[in-house]
Amino acid sequence: MPRVKIDGTEYEVEDGRTILQALDDLGLLMNGVDVPHYCWHPKLPVDGSCRLCQVEVDDIPKLQIACNTPIRDGMEVRTQSDRVADARRGVMELLLVNHPLDCPICDQAGECKLQDYAFDYGVKHARTRDPRRPAQKAVELGPEIVFDQERCILCRRCVRFCRDVTGTAELGVFQRGDESLLETFPGKPLDNAYSMNVADICPVGALTTRDFRFKIRVWFLDDVDSVCNQCSNGCNISAGRAHNNVYRFTPRRNDDVNDTWMCDAGRLSYPALREGRLETAQLRGRSVAFNEAVAAAGAALRETREAGGRIVGIGSPFAPNEDLFTLRELLGAVGAGPGLFSVPLGAGDDILIKPEKAPNAAGARALGFVESGDVGDAALAIVLGHAAAGDALSSVENVILIDTHDSALASRAMVALPARTFAERAGTFTNHAKRVQRFLPFLEPRFEAWAEGDILTRLAASAGLDTDAWDVNAVSKRLSQEVPAFEGIDLDSVGDRGLELR
Amino acid sequence: MITTPQITGYLSEHYAADANHTLAGYERAGGFKAVKKALKMKPADVADLVKESGLRGRGGAGFVAGLKWTFMPEKSDRMKVLVCNADESEPGSFKDRLIMERGPFAILEGILIAAWATGAEKTFIYVRGEYALPIERLRAAVDEMRAQGYLGTKLFGKKGFDHEIVVHSGAGAYICGEETGLLESLEGKKGQPRKKPPFPAQYGAFGLPTTVNNVETFAHVPYIVDRGVEWFRGFGTERSPGTTLFGVSGHVERPGLFELPLGTPLRELIEHAGGCRGGRAIKAVIPGGVSMPVLPPSDLDVGMADELLTERGTHLGTGGIMVMDETTCMVRAACVISYFFRDESCGQCTQCREGTGWINKICRRIEAGRGSDDDLALLDSVPAMMEGGTICAFADAAAWPIQGLMRHFRADFEAHVREQKCPFPESFEL
Ligand SMILES: Cc1cc2nc3c(=O)[nH]c(=O)nc-3n(C[C@H](O)[C@H](O)[C@H](O)COP(=O)(O)O)c2cc1C
Ligand code: SF4
Ligand code: SF4
Ligand code: SF4
Ligand code: FES
Repeated sequence: MPRVKIDGTEYEVEDGRTILQALDDLGLLMNGVDVPHYCWHPKLPVDGSCRLCQVEVDDIPKLQIACNTPIRDGMEVRTQSDRVADARRGVMELLLVNHPLDCPICDQAGECKLQDYAFDYGVKHARTRDPRRPAQKAVELGPEIVFDQERCILCRRCVRFCRDVTGTAELGVFQRGDESLLETFPGKPLDNAYSMNVADICPVGALTTRDFRFKIRVWFLDDVDSVCNQCSNGCNISAGRAHNNVYRFTPRRNDDVNDTWMCDAGRLSYPALREGRLETAQLRGRSVAFNEAVAAAGAALRETREAGGRIVGIGSPFAPNEDLFTLRELLGAVGAGPGLFSVPLGAGDDILIKPEKAPNAAGARALGFVESGDVGDAALAIVLGHAAAGDALSSVENVILIDTHDSALASRAMVALPARTFAERAGTFTNHAKRVQRFLPFLEPRFEAWAEGDILTRLAASAGLDTDAWDVNAVSKRLSQEVPAFEGIDLDSVGDRGLELR
Repeated sequence: MITTPQITGYLSEHYAADANHTLAGYERAGGFKAVKKALKMKPADVADLVKESGLRGRGGAGFVAGLKWTFMPEKSDRMKVLVCNADESEPGSFKDRLIMERGPFAILEGILIAAWATGAEKTFIYVRGEYALPIERLRAAVDEMRAQGYLGTKLFGKKGFDHEIVVHSGAGAYICGEETGLLESLEGKKGQPRKKPPFPAQYGAFGLPTTVNNVETFAHVPYIVDRGVEWFRGFGTERSPGTTLFGVSGHVERPGLFELPLGTPLRELIEHAGGCRGGRAIKAVIPGGVSMPVLPPSDLDVGMADELLTERGTHLGTGGIMVMDETTCMVRAACVISYFFRDESCGQCTQCREGTGWINKICRRIEAGRGSDDDLALLDSVPAMMEGGTICAFADAAAWPIQGLMRHFRADFEAHVREQKCPFPESFEL
């Protein structure tokens, strides 16, 4: 492994890495070692055009771009010399020659690399008196992306994303010199399943999503680590929230799962956290107090047991591991067989999107749930919602449904109990590659609702079973101790990048 | 209309002959002797010989040709290729055109020798799209060679020596003359220089190991192989041997091409071209194509070899000399030059894309009588901000002429700012 000295400190790096890649691998880039950069992105091919990342390398007379300079053993890199500072200042000043100076009305303000770097590395006073290049405002590049041409610094990240990540190649830089303009190819709108990622990687306010554009200033948002629940890939996301509202999902980097990307469908799934919810407990289609519904369900469960009726449990690939584990414990306590579950299917691709349209099918499998809708002659079913096979349950007299969202089944069930979505509680999902990943709460429920596992525990208590109050951390610990596949894997130990099942 | 050089040397001595661009004519004048001689030598020895001759690339950068050939991987499981750079778009340069029109076979023979030396099996000649006659002549020449068995397999009876030549027409962009911009364009992509590494010798045309040389560079090779290093070094200077086809244009009586040894004094070249027009005094001379910084009249004694011009803060470039007489407004010259670079920048690199446009705006403002001292300060600093930090040398080429003008003709710029108008009413119109 080559050794390199960067600003006087020696590091050992992997073979064949460029200076920027090595800094990124070491977790030092813009986090201890500042090498500002625009065109380079860790997950895109090198472009080498913005020229901001110039550094001193050994005794080479010209500065070298850190994004395209492979590290050789014994190399010495200096990132903070006067020459480097001069070069950065020059590039920054030139980048602003054709850039409007109206940050206050730009949607990117607050998370703009041009604004940040101009502040850190730029000149203090603009020396240009000339009008900017003529450019179009609010061009619709496709159904999700809006382009303010005047703000574009032509880093071509978006071009490379569409060419090299999605392979759809809708974007190109047309014309040349200072007339260069980013555009879509004629007749080829930016319309692919991942199009909104270009807004994330655009370092300036040129590309915005129609969904988030001008909705809120980013400094009002705080980001909470979460995981997308729309398919079994489990893309790591940040939920941007303010005032108990979520304004956007953005991908959170995880090189083992989703790199820095997510699909548009996942990104646009957040309104469902609010819409169509099951907001009150139901007893045979009638709204009742939560406790009343739990008591009725508990009584039915006890009676069915006493009468020797068959009990079936139906898990959900949308429910977190912890809650499925609680269901498994309850089913064991009442002498029912293994829980059943089914997974909604759809299209997948080779990039991220998986055919299983739920986040925790692998978790359900690992916890012994069986993929089946066959409830046989069950007299009572305990059902975790979201994907429950409503029809198969028509023969079951007593359905106890625990669900986040309203459905036909909720009005038919004996009892329906409102559950919290993954946004309203902590837990873990196991993705298609058996990686257990944590999500944290970012919204407060607006009505009485509890985690599925919590409701199951109340139900068990009400049925006369011996239980402790439900606590996700405690359940997670127990799960990691009792289920071999989860050995050592709990809410704490998974960290923010996840851990693979044993 | 250029017909033949006004002064000829070994390269151009037969250019006046009607049939020099035909295979028969070329062979009558001794053509294809050199390649046969080279084939009796080991490839590495041919490269060595060309290296020892000191032949420097005639495309502008002056890199030692034989040395560049040795960068090609000796063993390669992928085909190796050569590219002949015939894009000739540097304003002030028109030598390659004449070589292609009047002496295409010397280029092609030089290519075959280079192919033997480097193990290349294919050559792409990338010709500037506007060069209709050169393209026609090259295509005809290639066809004649193929018909004669000089292209194809087992050439000149040499087992394992196979070669094909493709003549490719460009579409008229200056940046397609930069060797990696050329390669992109050759592959059918937008002509934009590639970042390095990788270098063409590792990853060139279509990803194959590639060596790029200029038209004239190839054309010298047969003479060197045929007549020897000693003979070649009899022309020119120690560090810049051989002749070149100097182009002299601008405010001279008889613009044209002059084949003379490198190192020939600039003043002598201008005299060959009949001197400054109408007996006027010379104000400035661009020595090597528009990218090269200008020289004031006090530098006319300089020898036209790169190492000598470097001492005067400029370069030989393509040897295209442009003379400007005493009526010329240097701010207008700056406007024209900076417009060219603004228009031709491929636009990838920040400094080049934004700097070329900015400089042009500043020059136009000064010329229009609206310049300020701040603008002069900008012309001092913006070119320096563009220099040395881009993907290709275009940004340098755009910065240098402005730096040269500011170095030697700052007074012109200051007068515009002071008088808030152009003080050179007789200068050429913009
Ligand atoms: C902007 C730019 C334009 C160029 N245009 C040409 C050209 O038109 N013809 C040419 O032979 N070389 C041109 N070059 C130089 C080539 O990049 C390359 O160095 C040359 O073809 C190598 O050949 P040589 O070593 O035989 O000179 C240009 C370079 C730059 C930076
Ligand atoms: S739109 Fe954004 S990402 Fe695309 S080239 Fe312009 S600045 Fe870069
Ligand atoms: S690929 Fe799957 S997990 Fe990732 S964002 Fe899309 S739906 Fe969500
Ligand atoms: S220096 Fe100019 S011409 Fe060369 S690659 Fe950069 S932008 Fe293009
Ligand atoms: S980040 Fe290296 S050139 Fe843009």
